[in-house]
Amino acid sequence: MHGIGTDMKILIVEDDPVLRELIRTSLEKDRLVVEVAEDYRSALLKIEDYNYDCILLDITLPDGDGLFLLKQLKEMRKRENVIIISAKDSLEDKVRGLEWGADDYLVKPFHLAELYARIRSVIRRNRQDGENKIELGNVCIYPDHFTVSVGGHTIDLNRKEYDILYYFIQRPGRLVNKTTLAEAVWGDHIDQVDNFDFIYAQIKNLRKKLNAAKASLEIRAVYGFGYKLIQE
Amino acid sequence: MKLIYRMAIRISLVLTLVMSVWAIFFYMAMIDEVNDEVDDSLEDYSELIIIRVLSGETLPRESNGSNNYYCLTEVDRSYAVQRPAILYTDSMVYIPEKEETEPARILTSIFRDKDDRYYELVVSIPTIEKNDLKIAILNWIVFLYIGLLVVVLMVNLWVFQRSMRPLYVLLKWLDDYTVGKRNKPLKNETQISEFRKLNAAAERNAERAEQLFEQQKQFIENASHEIQTPLAICQNRLEMLTEEDSLSERTLGEVIKTLHTLEYISKLNRSLLLLTKIDNGQFPDVRSMNLNRMIACYLEDYKEVYGYRRIDVSQVEYGTFQVDMDESLATVLVTNLLKNAFVHNVDGGRVRIEITDKSLIICNNGGGMPLDESRIFGRFYQGNKKEGSTGLGLAIVDSICRLYRLSIRYFFQGGQHAFEIRK
Repeated sequence: MHGIGTDMKILIVEDDPVLRELIRTSLEKDRLVVEVAEDYRSALLKIEDYNYDCILLDITLPDGDGLFLLKQLKEMRKRENVIIISAKDSLEDKVRGLEWGADDYLVKPFHLAELYARIRSVIRRNRQDGENKIELGNVCIYPDHFTVSVGGHTIDLNRKEYDILYYFIQRPGRLVNKTTLAEAVWGDHIDQVDNFDFIYAQIKNLRKKLNAAKASLEIRAVYGFGYKLIQE
Repeated sequence: MKLIYRMAIRISLVLTLVMSVWAIFFYMAMIDEVNDEVDDSLEDYSELIIIRVLSGETLPRESNGSNNYYCLTEVDRSYAVQRPAILYTDSMVYIPEKEETEPARILTSIFRDKDDRYYELVVSIPTIEKNDLKIAILNWIVFLYIGLLVVVLMVNLWVFQRSMRPLYVLLKWLDDYTVGKRNKPLKNETQISEFRKLNAAAERNAERAEQLFEQQKQFIENASHEIQTPLAICQNRLEMLTEEDSLSERTLGEVIKTLHTLEYISKLNRSLLLLTKIDNGQFPDVRSMNLNRMIACYLEDYKEVYGYRRIDVSQVEYGTFQVDMDESLATVLVTNLLKNAFVHNVDGGRVRIEITDKSLIICNNGGGMPLDESRIFGRFYQGNKKEGSTGLGLAIVDSICRLYRLSIRYFFQGGQHAFEIRK
């Protein structure tokens, strides 16, 4: 759909059948090729036989610790991207996961948009040769330098405007509701607001700047609930 | 009161009573014995005189220098019949040689000679001063009592400490014991079966408490983790629904509200898990954190987000509040307190932050009534229910403060709610 290409192959290792199918449906809607494994054994068999662009790994499996799959991958000298999806959100669990070679760590419950953005991000990171950039329409973001260019011309964004655009460009076409956006851009500590004027103020300025630079992207409000990034 | 003092007092009381009764008996027995001896000699003496009178021999002198004294008088028949034949009495007697009155034992006997004449013979022997005896006995008893008491107490103390040592070892171990922490094993060798039983019971209970604690910890952790997956399913299903273009505004609104509630549950869950982790001491990484800088940083966000309420914010720094703590917990502490000050504020209210080397005070306007100090740090206490608030924020703050031995208190002053953290 947007950016990663349609030939991506994803393996979902998750023991809960409902969540597994849900993720599969969602990713297939984004035209990714999805395979599933419900336990350690079947995951290991799949990994031995096929190559994947990204593996979503639940580490608490009924027949073993999912972390050992990371070890197996290393022994097979495979370089798949692995995103751990886990109910455990303590720092030590995350550190342990990343130390064993995972590329990212996502805590349940997560937003599907978030999952999709993380998948894009890890694949992009591994694929990039040379400069790290995210391109959509005529807008291009360089995360290493925190700069944005539209049609080759750099535009000047403040920190919050940049963070908002960066967040949306990783989730094109997805409805992002205001609380999620506030927590993602301002931080987890902004979780009890009942007035979202501060978001509106930033988005208004961002839209103005994008319009002025004739960007092919538009941040569109969806009723009163949130926003969606649309490519014209 | 310590057991040993209680025992000392009781022993003293009982001994006082026993010794007093004993002293009375002792005195009575002594007097009885003395009287008996004196009576015997009085009897001998009066017998001697009576024999001499009856046989018509010459009588000894009335007073023979031995303080013994007799007096023989003839009495008429009627007097003799009225009186008992033999009568012992105690009385004061004047002794002419000494020219003083002394206590004496007196035997009065009445007898009849062959001519049918009646005589009254009064024989007296000076006897001991009973008052002197009483005082002597009392003195000795007091002296003995004190001596005995001291000895008894010392022996008791020694025996008590020797035999109760295992009890005190056990008590100290129990005092030092904290469930869930790494505890020293109980080292309390003893031959006494009662103490062995007590040791075993204490260890059994500690083990049981440990198991329960572990189970509870596991339960909370597992429950929290198990809830995450179904939460993820609900949330993701609804998110897929929001992507349908055919949804009406009303339907989408309802779906998004449900999503918010789900997020609230998930936040509640994470907060409970965080509380459990703090209480279990699962944050061993400690760094020196500068809370001034942290507060200034987060304050900017809150000012922006709550800008529409026109809250007057001021931060006064008299010093740097530096604490050794886990970084993520420091963030939770600071953001919970700041969020609290903004969320419960009124439009056009004030937030004032005062920092010194030793203390951190955050004051804010809010409802005009002071909150219940004793319950404000409890779980799920909410002065006035705010949507989206878990009611765990201050409980978490309290737990963090306890973990790092900071004191936190709430007070209401000049219409402002204030939280103060002290080192």
